[in-house]
Amino acid sequence: MEPGEIPVLIISEDTIPRAYERAIKEVWEKGASIKTEYDHPEDPPSKDATVVIIVRQPFGQPRFHRSFADGLGGLAEYVMEVVHGAHDYWVKPVEEILKGKESKDTRWTYTYHGRLFEYRIEDKVINQIGYMIDKLSQTGYSRRAQAITWNPKLDPPTDDPPCLQRLWGRLCEDGKGGYVFNLNSHWRSRDLFKAWFENVIALTTLMRKIAEALADKTGKNVRLGRYVDISDSLHIYGSYFKEIEGDPKKGIRSFFETLESRSFEERTWDSEFIKPHFIDDGLGKGLRRMLEREKDMPQNVRRAIEEELRLMEKKDYVV
Amino acid sequence: MTLFEQIADEVQKGHSDSVAELVKEALSQGIPAEEVMNKGLVSGMEIVSEKFKNNEIFIPEVLISARAMNAGLAILKPLLVESNIQPKGKVVIGTVKGDLHDIGKNIVAMLLQGAGFDVIDLGADVPKEKFLEFVKKEKADILGMSALLTTTMLYMKEMVEALKNEGIRQDVKVIIGGAPVTESYAAQIEADGYAPDAASAVDLSKRLLEE
Repeated sequence: MEPGEIPVLIISEDTIPRAYERAIKEVWEKGASIKTEYDHPEDPPSKDATVVIIVRQPFGQPRFHRSFADGLGGLAEYVMEVVHGAHDYWVKPVEEILKGKESKDTRWTYTYHGRLFEYRIEDKVINQIGYMIDKLSQTGYSRRAQAITWNPKLDPPTDDPPCLQRLWGRLCEDGKGGYVFNLNSHWRSRDLFKAWFENVIALTTLMRKIAEALADKTGKNVRLGRYVDISDSLHIYGSYFKEIEGDPKKGIRSFFETLESRSFEERTWDSEFIKPHFIDDGLGKGLRRMLEREKDMPQNVRRAIEEELRLMEKKDYVV
Repeated sequence: MTLFEQIADEVQKGHSDSVAELVKEALSQGIPAEEVMNKGLVSGMEIVSEKFKNNEIFIPEVLISARAMNAGLAILKPLLVESNIQPKGKVVIGTVKGDLHDIGKNIVAMLLQGAGFDVIDLGADVPKEKFLEFVKKEKADILGMSALLTTTMLYMKEMVEALKNEGIRQDVKVIIGGAPVTESYAAQIEADGYAPDAASAVDLSKRLLEE
């Protein structure tokens, strides 16, 4: 790669944890050194690449890696945020968002659910996921079933605009009278080491919800196809380098040494192990605790999460 | 393996049910609650904390161990209160007003608890009034504040000022942390300490109470 050129990496694996580990290794080894807006002045430049990641079995087991920046209850709450809009009520009013960096209101400027399910344009509110489901159930092979997040009026002035840009889905015949639902997600920018895994758990859960809705609408079996994750800038921040490299003098292992010191089973969890922690992690997080804690959550969202809780309590439901 | 070692081992593995059973067994053998806590639960969490510091285990694993420790602590707490056993120190902790990020703060709280501190976790988006109320009511030795945003970090300064205005600044050590926070910011707002990560926050708290 010539100086100044951004590497393009393509990774294809069966499961999410396998893809995650390989992506970290490849971006670490092959990524370009580029300064980002979030690096501290004393930090080394981030490792950065354009990366296409294919996960052939989004619900293949083990589905959960043990290395991510939250607890299991916190991860469950994040999934509810993306899939059911649990935190859409944390978003500040448009007039505050438009103040950009001058705004003193520290509430959020967007949520993915808000943008995907309630995209606001002029005086309209558009459910883009609803559109994808309608479109694909009528014309499965359509190339128009997509949902965007970027708002060119609201996002440029803010410090933290959405990383996810677009979802694109397509329904293909499986040759046995049913369908396969394929999903692509497109990202402007992405923190590989501390956000990618949680993003993908949430988006593949949303992928399954869309597939279920498509099965309902078409009356046919819809199985999940591959999930493809495309990031313009997939990066490992300079501030994480100490964690990745470790410090042999102080006996601190590198991230890769930690991976190598354990079997794949010892660095992952399957969905069955995760489920009780998603319901209640025993530390104040998880679906049950979230419903107790967040009194201001709108009733319709509360009902959706209660339904999710009921599903999770069923033996055969896979998270 | 002794019973204490078994408790410590089950804490490390994150087996809540086994920890609770073993703690009950230890109590039924007449072992004092304080000893079960220190030689079993705290000892197990100290190993977890050390492994985390050395990058040997991951954040969710620390939290699963903390859950197991809590299962044991829940049984011991009433007995510890009855026998008037004092913790290493009392820490009031929270993420500052306007900030809803709490994972870093949660890990610090768990590791402090695992190191034998009594931790009162006020959660996220905590206003000054609530911090002040609990620092006074609980006679806290340490106030820990976390922020993930550059905008909310500024609230830490307001909080230090609020402690001064209430005339209780000298009664409590203030420690701060979070992604945008730096040592120089801690010095600038006259906090007593800054920790770049959760394990360092435990070391810092111990050190401050020894001063």
